[in-house]
Amino acid sequence: MIAIETHNLTRYYGALRAVDHLDLTIENEIFGLLGPNGSGKTTTVLMLTTLLRPSEGTASICGYDVLTKGTEVRKHISYVPQDMAVDIKLTGRENVLFYADLYGVDNPKDRTDEALGIMELSDRADDLTKTYSGGMRRRLELAQALVHEPDVVFLDEPTLGLDVAARKKIWEHIRSLKKTGMTVFVTTHYMDEADRYCDRVGIISSGRITALGSPPALKARLMKDVVTISVEGECSSLQEPVIEGTEYLGCTGSDLSFTAENGREALPLLADALGRSGIRIRQMSLREPTLDDVFLQVVGQQEETPGFNEQKFRIMLRRRR
Amino acid sequence: MSAIVPYIRRDFLRWGRGRVAVVSTLVMPAAWLVFVGLALPIRFTDNYLDFITPGILVMTMLSAGLAGGTLLMFDKILGFMNKFLALPAPRENILFGKILFASGRGILQATIILAIAILIGASVYSPLQYAVTYLILFLFGILVAAFATTVALYLDDHDSLSAFNTMITMPLFFTSSALMPYDVMPPWLRPIASVNPLSFAIDAVRAVDAGMMPSVQLAALGLLSAGVIGICIHVFRRTTV
Repeated sequence: MIAIETHNLTRYYGALRAVDHLDLTIENEIFGLLGPNGSGKTTTVLMLTTLLRPSEGTASICGYDVLTKGTEVRKHISYVPQDMAVDIKLTGRENVLFYADLYGVDNPKDRTDEALGIMELSDRADDLTKTYSGGMRRRLELAQALVHEPDVVFLDEPTLGLDVAARKKIWEHIRSLKKTGMTVFVTTHYMDEADRYCDRVGIISSGRITALGSPPALKARLMKDVVTISVEGECSSLQEPVIEGTEYLGCTGSDLSFTAENGREALPLLADALGRSGIRIRQMSLREPTLDDVFLQVVGQQEETPGFNEQKFRIMLRRRR
Repeated sequence: MSAIVPYIRRDFLRWGRGRVAVVSTLVMPAAWLVFVGLALPIRFTDNYLDFITPGILVMTMLSAGLAGGTLLMFDKILGFMNKFLALPAPRENILFGKILFASGRGILQATIILAIAILIGASVYSPLQYAVTYLILFLFGILVAAFATTVALYLDDHDSLSAFNTMITMPLFFTSSALMPYDVMPPWLRPIASVNPLSFAIDAVRAVDAGMMPSVQLAALGLLSAGVIGICIHVFRRTTV
């Protein structure tokens, strides 16, 4: 059963191409769409959840086309946006029951209890949501999303703004959802979380998927070790260093990253080579590759989108609502 | 229909728990009743309170209806709207729920205002007269709420919406027949007042009080409401996918 399928999925905001000919096939798995802010993650989710019309291309959820079979699509999905929209003047139970009624499930009260139980909120269910912590509110939103037993759950930045413990808990719940047979489509810009919990990830940059695969497979594209070197000043002004036995990945701020088959041997070589070009090294470190390194390799420097265009931004906001 | 009820229930629950908001919306119309209805030295009638009460009831419905737009705006800003739009239930239910809630809440507020008016000396009418009065007020509430939600769908932020509401409330009220009958109005005000939708509702309630059946005004309010709801649905479909 193919949960999500897109073909040439594209969205323009005026002249800005927010999502650029996306081809994805997602089966029963936890799929993570990774990328920096403004890379097209939310736009993709909005199109897949029938909240935004694609400019070009097609997408289908559980075999239903998002353009022509919108109601069917919405019966099979749940969408949790990043805003954390729960009614603070309602209790946890009322918040979930509200969605159970809107979905028109049988036995809304029982389903509500069940969903609250799964998200470990039963003992606080009758407190006003006002008193909930950020992590609890997020779990409450997951309970709302579970109440009609969807086939595909879309989570937009589910761990944004949560502390470490709350994040871990959210991800464990996401895992248990997948075990019950749900497909989870999650967007995040936290590479480490995606690395640990996603079955497969797609790295998106300027609306294009630049790398797609399981985290281990993506990391295997790099050599065995990653060497990060902090230098004095900004490294973006430096020209790309070519050093034998290593591959240059890119730089962020004042950190240069290289990948090497044998990091221990590469350390002195790198130090010599950089020293010869007059670069002063402050610190060197050796570690195993992470998705951050993969990202650096396929996308390049992670920087904020330059040349902020007020007009484009306003159009974008308007369309999003 | 069943999928509209949860939206209405949610809004009533939230409203009932904000104690300040429940009282504060009543202060303004009550103040008008007491300080204008009882205090203004008027010559054209010997019971000005009876004359002004329909105007204040309609004013209560006006602000209640406009508040429906504000509620929709907050749902939009805070991300609730996107969650609702991703539900399989007909999307228009979001609008119908909001319009019905705003009108229903207005009816509750109008009931309290009516009770205050009777307490301070307004005349009491027959149950049938009250039933027709409520029908008029409800239709008017639907009309205003549908209009306010349409505006809320158009605008991007809460500031512009509240500026818009402030801008229209007072002029609408003062150019209606709420405060004086047509024959004591200055001549330039008469044509304006006679096309003001507030006057339709106010004149209708006064006709009911005088023992007549205001069929023309009821039909006009009904048609206007239907028209504005139609526009509202159209705008909604255009702005959401």
